[in-house]
Amino acid sequence: MKKVLTVLGLMVTLGFSAPIDGYMQSLANEAKKADPSFKGFDAVSGKQIFTSEHIGKKGQNISCASCHTNDLKQAGKNTFTAKVIDPLSPKANKERLSDVKNVEKWLKRNFNDVYKREGTVVEKGDVLTYIKNY
Amino acid sequence: MKKYLIIATVATLFSGVTLFGVESKTVEKVYQKECGSCHMAYQPQFLPQRSWSKMMKKLDNHFDVDASLDANDNKTILVYLTSNAGDVKASTKHFSKMSNSITSNETPLRISQTPYFLREHRGIPKRFIEQKEVKSLANCTACHTTANQGSYSERAIKIPNYGRWED
Ligand code: HEC
Ligand code: HEC
Ligand code: HEC
Repeated sequence: MKKVLTVLGLMVTLGFSAPIDGYMQSLANEAKKADPSFKGFDAVSGKQIFTSEHIGKKGQNISCASCHTNDLKQAGKNTFTAKVIDPLSPKANKERLSDVKNVEKWLKRNFNDVYKREGTVVEKGDVLTYIKNY
Repeated sequence: MKKYLIIATVATLFSGVTLFGVESKTVEKVYQKECGSCHMAYQPQFLPQRSWSKMMKKLDNHFDVDASLDANDNKTILVYLTSNAGDVKASTKHFSKMSNSITSNETPLRISQTPYFLREHRGIPKRFIEQKEVKSLANCTACHTTANQGSYSERAIKIPNYGRWED
């Protein structure tokens, strides 16, 4: 109980933001370090990353939208397994972007499936900005 | 703000719980979450230990998709799968038949290519399998309406755009 109170106390004094904001801030810091002219993430290029098709890991044309659809407020469907995927937009689905470990895991997997490589710091920030504000 | 406080409180309480050791319920949950996100969480009884060990070693290339996990979750799931595998724990008639049909010199990664499975599904017309609601025989839940509960009885089979299956 004491631990809970300490944590709560800390949060009240420091001010609290959602964990995903902390993660995106750390991506932004890294981007700035690599390129001092970095101005911030861009939802428009995030959309491009999300909707453009590439020859993926399976050797066929695929985009993020192939599974999540172009409307992030709608449920999608896994193009390989036909399993329904709940909407990706946090505005339509409160659980989205709430668990940083889960987000990192899926970005790694999904970039590999679509781009055959992991996303760069800027790409991850851009696409998260797009999803978050959709 | 209030919402985050509640979340933080709950999260802190939960992090306390794990101090008492990971319970089997929690492990089952990890399995359901991690191995049930792209397809149903297949019952571990369908494949022998050696199949699961092999599969868990190359999750970054899992049937041509990336299903990689961090080392901790990988280990938790591997222990769950191998302690419930078909060659150590075949609890129902379907699971034992599946298990017994696999010869010891084989390490199948697909349930849908084991001899018993192939025998049972031989008579299903291709168009029922290839339709978009099913896509492949790996999609057990598309036809077996109670597959998530581990029940594959013929009474609970309903093929999309066709209906109940009569022999
Ligand atoms: C082959 C299908 C598929 C493709 C292609 C795909 N995803 Fe996903 N994605 C999934 C599945 C399945 C999940 C997890 C299922 C769930 O949580 O409902 C997921 C989860 C996510 C999550 C986690 C969200 C959260 O907080 O729960 C993010 C972020 C994400 N995907 C982004 C992307 C991006 C960006 C791309 C393109 C680079 C992409 N996805 C391409 C299937 C796909
Ligand atoms: C990122 C998506 C993804 C995740 C996560 C995932 N799988 Fe898969 N799995 C697939 C795909 C795609 C297939 C091939 C499906 C097909 O052929 O229709 C597959 C197939 C399988 C099959 C063979 C099905 C058959 O044909 O009999 C098994 C068994 C399996 N997965 C087990 C697991 C286990 C165990 C985990 C958790 C460690 C897991 N999967 C996590 C995508 C995933
Ligand atoms: C296209 C629909 C379809 C899919 C997908 C499918 N099955 Fe079946 N399954 C059937 C039908 C139909 C039968 C009954 C065949 C018969 O008796 O002629 C059957 C029979 C079975 C049986 C034997 C039942 C009995 O009592 O004899 C088992 C066990 C089984 N399926 C498991 C699975 C598993 C596990 C999966 C996924 C890996 C799967 N099935 C995917 C349609 C399907």
